[in-house]
Amino acid sequence: MRITRRKAVAATAVAALALTLTACSSGGDDDGAPVDMADKMVGAMEDYGVGTSFKATEPIELGLMYRDHPNYPLKDDWSVLKHLEEDRNVTFDVQSVPLADFEQKRSLLISSGDAADLIPSTYAADVETLTSGGALLAVSDYLDYLPNFQDKVEKWGLQEDLDRLRQADGKFYVLPGLHENPKPSYSVAIREDLWADAGLEDPKTWDEFADQLEVIKEENPELDYPYTERWSINGPMEATLQAAAGGFGTEAGWGYGDGVTWNGSEYEYTGASEGYKELIAYFADLVDSGLLDPEGLTQEDDPAKAKFTTGKAAAIGSNDQEAVVYRTGFEEAGDKDAKVKHLVVPAGPAGNIMDATTGGQFESGIALSSNAAERDDFVALLQFVDWLYYSDEGLEFAKWGVEGETYTKDADGVRTLADDVDWGGLNAGAPKMLNTDFGYYNGVFSLAHGSTEDLVKSTLTPDVQAFLDEMNKKDVAENGPGIAMDEMQREEASLLQTNLQDVVMTATSQFLLGERPMDEWDAYVAELESAGMQTYVDTVNEAAGVNQ
Amino acid sequence: MVNIAPTVDPADPAGSTAPDLARPRPETTTIKDTPGYTVFRWVNATVLTLVAAITLYPFVNLAARAFSSEAGIRSGAVTVWPIGFNTTTLMSVLEQDLFWRNYLNTVVYTVVGTAIAMALTTTFAYVLSKKYLKGRMLLVGFAVFTMFFTGGLIPNYILVSELGFKNTIWAIVVPQAINVFNLLVMKSFFENFPTELEEAAAIDGLTTYGIFFRVVLPLSKAVLATMVLFYAVWFWNSWFPAFLYMDDPSLYPVTVFLRNIIAGATGTGEGLSDIAVQIGANVKAVTMLLTALPIVCLYPFVQKYFVSGVMLGSVKG
Repeated sequence: MRITRRKAVAATAVAALALTLTACSSGGDDDGAPVDMADKMVGAMEDYGVGTSFKATEPIELGLMYRDHPNYPLKDDWSVLKHLEEDRNVTFDVQSVPLADFEQKRSLLISSGDAADLIPSTYAADVETLTSGGALLAVSDYLDYLPNFQDKVEKWGLQEDLDRLRQADGKFYVLPGLHENPKPSYSVAIREDLWADAGLEDPKTWDEFADQLEVIKEENPELDYPYTERWSINGPMEATLQAAAGGFGTEAGWGYGDGVTWNGSEYEYTGASEGYKELIAYFADLVDSGLLDPEGLTQEDDPAKAKFTTGKAAAIGSNDQEAVVYRTGFEEAGDKDAKVKHLVVPAGPAGNIMDATTGGQFESGIALSSNAAERDDFVALLQFVDWLYYSDEGLEFAKWGVEGETYTKDADGVRTLADDVDWGGLNAGAPKMLNTDFGYYNGVFSLAHGSTEDLVKSTLTPDVQAFLDEMNKKDVAENGPGIAMDEMQREEASLLQTNLQDVVMTATSQFLLGERPMDEWDAYVAELESAGMQTYVDTVNEAAGVNQ
Repeated sequence: MVNIAPTVDPADPAGSTAPDLARPRPETTTIKDTPGYTVFRWVNATVLTLVAAITLYPFVNLAARAFSSEAGIRSGAVTVWPIGFNTTTLMSVLEQDLFWRNYLNTVVYTVVGTAIAMALTTTFAYVLSKKYLKGRMLLVGFAVFTMFFTGGLIPNYILVSELGFKNTIWAIVVPQAINVFNLLVMKSFFENFPTELEEAAAIDGLTTYGIFFRVVLPLSKAVLATMVLFYAVWFWNSWFPAFLYMDDPSLYPVTVFLRNIIAGATGTGEGLSDIAVQIGANVKAVTMLLTALPIVCLYPFVQKYFVSGVMLGSVKG
């Protein structure tokens, strides 16, 4: 390559920039010792523990980075804010961030040290690269002040998962939202009526599903294709690939993640694994035999939905909420015979397994700004976080509101929304909405929308509950040990992984669409190898402490 | 300067049938439309009409979608006329107080921003256009440097915060006040401004400021109108600085508000109701319509300066 003067100038500039960035990121202080808490007890309860109903001993005002959802924009007179002030002595100094581009502004605020004390709606992975700057608090140092969190982690057996969040410095920086049980949602929806007409039952395995599609195609010649797909904007049918991946013993689609899968003794590269090959071959075969609509691998969601709800396809990727949307679609189109069934994800050749991401029990969580630890009411802040996000009382309050105001509870513990309150069609036609008008069922105050099985199911329709029960009978793929990379490793790994993932995603599309025959698989693996696959896998295994 | 005034006559050929009293008697007509020319004019009209239709179609389609029902949109049948006419989405956007407050903000930010930008850009450009100015290239380089290199997001954010601009209009209008591209366009316009006119004005006793305000600016309406339009559109559409520097929804311009609505409508449907489904289907169309209309209405009024302006600046001799 000829190096022109312009290129040389550009290279110098990039180098200078990189140097500046490196200089910036090495400024964090690395003392991890918990601060002395004796002088930070303002407003804190002396005897706070599991089961204690938190109330600050004097009014405290906490900084809150508020992710403003346009479907329920923040209102000052919300019941949730009123009750937190009156019953808990807590008010907020709100730093409002619109939902659109929330991640970007959150990163900016954290990086510039301007973030509010409480940073909810945040996944550990979102802020992984921001922790070295010292702007986020290592919450793992303060678990003693979070009794409800610890209690749930222990009761629900999440200690191992929690340790996986630890970074190279042995600390973690985000308190995850917790689920008592995994909450899978994505699968394939089928036209139950067509299946019944053909005398078919729900498919138990993916192979059975393929055979059924063949039958459906024969019996219903008016279909363009028996099966179409969606969620293909960034890559082909990412939702369904993820949902199916577990059964093939691999990870794919949205669940592709860092591109490595634990095989029981070490991490191996997902895109080159046998399971991934089988998964891709399965769906490529569906396309090849005219069962899966090739447009489904590239089209946007709206045309995909239209194909399904106008009867041009008999199956489509789905989740528990979208299944409702399909039903509404058929109703509006005046199609009264159509019935939609959200399938339990069929099992695959590797067994009846969910991939580790789908089977995970962590939701988006809450991070704390380092500034929070400087406050003289820091302990009260921790107690409040623990109460609101992790105590049974707090979880119920954040999701359902206040008994007698927004809901009632009968002797069996079944909650019913008040007559004038609706949420998600539970009380269709009521004039007020639980989130819009009261501020409850709000991701900012309710990380996992209930956490406990009881609360999670309390707002789900019976068929979604049945779906969850059935899904949770699956095994969950084993999650390997935590991959705690230091900054150098992370930088190298992310460069490699970006390239590798490009290769994988491009090839995945090509294989699925039949642009590339499956017998070129070895050539594709060779491409991965030359893109540095082995180096990447070695780095991961090293960071995970796996001896090779 | 090459004169490139558009001479396309959009009038339809049928207009030539209007009675013309000065027209020569038919038997003495020497210049008559040849059949070929008539055909040409018809073809011309057809092609131009087609081009206009193709250009307008997306916008009309957008307007149609804005008033169509969700089922109509989903079926993909909406073309130029709404199917299942309704104003659910429009009303749901319009009935929010925040929408109007943010719309007002946009107007204020646009007007103030454009005013400040015009003041700074014209004066800076005029200075840069004077070839006898010492250190001129340094100043030009200073401006051009910022075209290629910026401090980066976080340093900029810290700078603006430390200046105390956060949650004020200044965070939006000051950092954007000089667009270097506009500055350079203006600079070359001023460079081509006849020095004779300025010399004449100087001889008549005007100071530098007098020349600038009383001679140069009045004769530069073309470039000023263009720049006002550029800046106004820029400030009108701008959302990023507001998104960065405003922590309070009541300070957002309407672009941030609408962007957030779209995110809510396309994101995970928390508490999805029928209305939400309808809104999700055409909120993009409605919002684009709402933001584009005012600035589209501005064009016809500014456009005349583009045409007349090109004629200006000619000097005898």
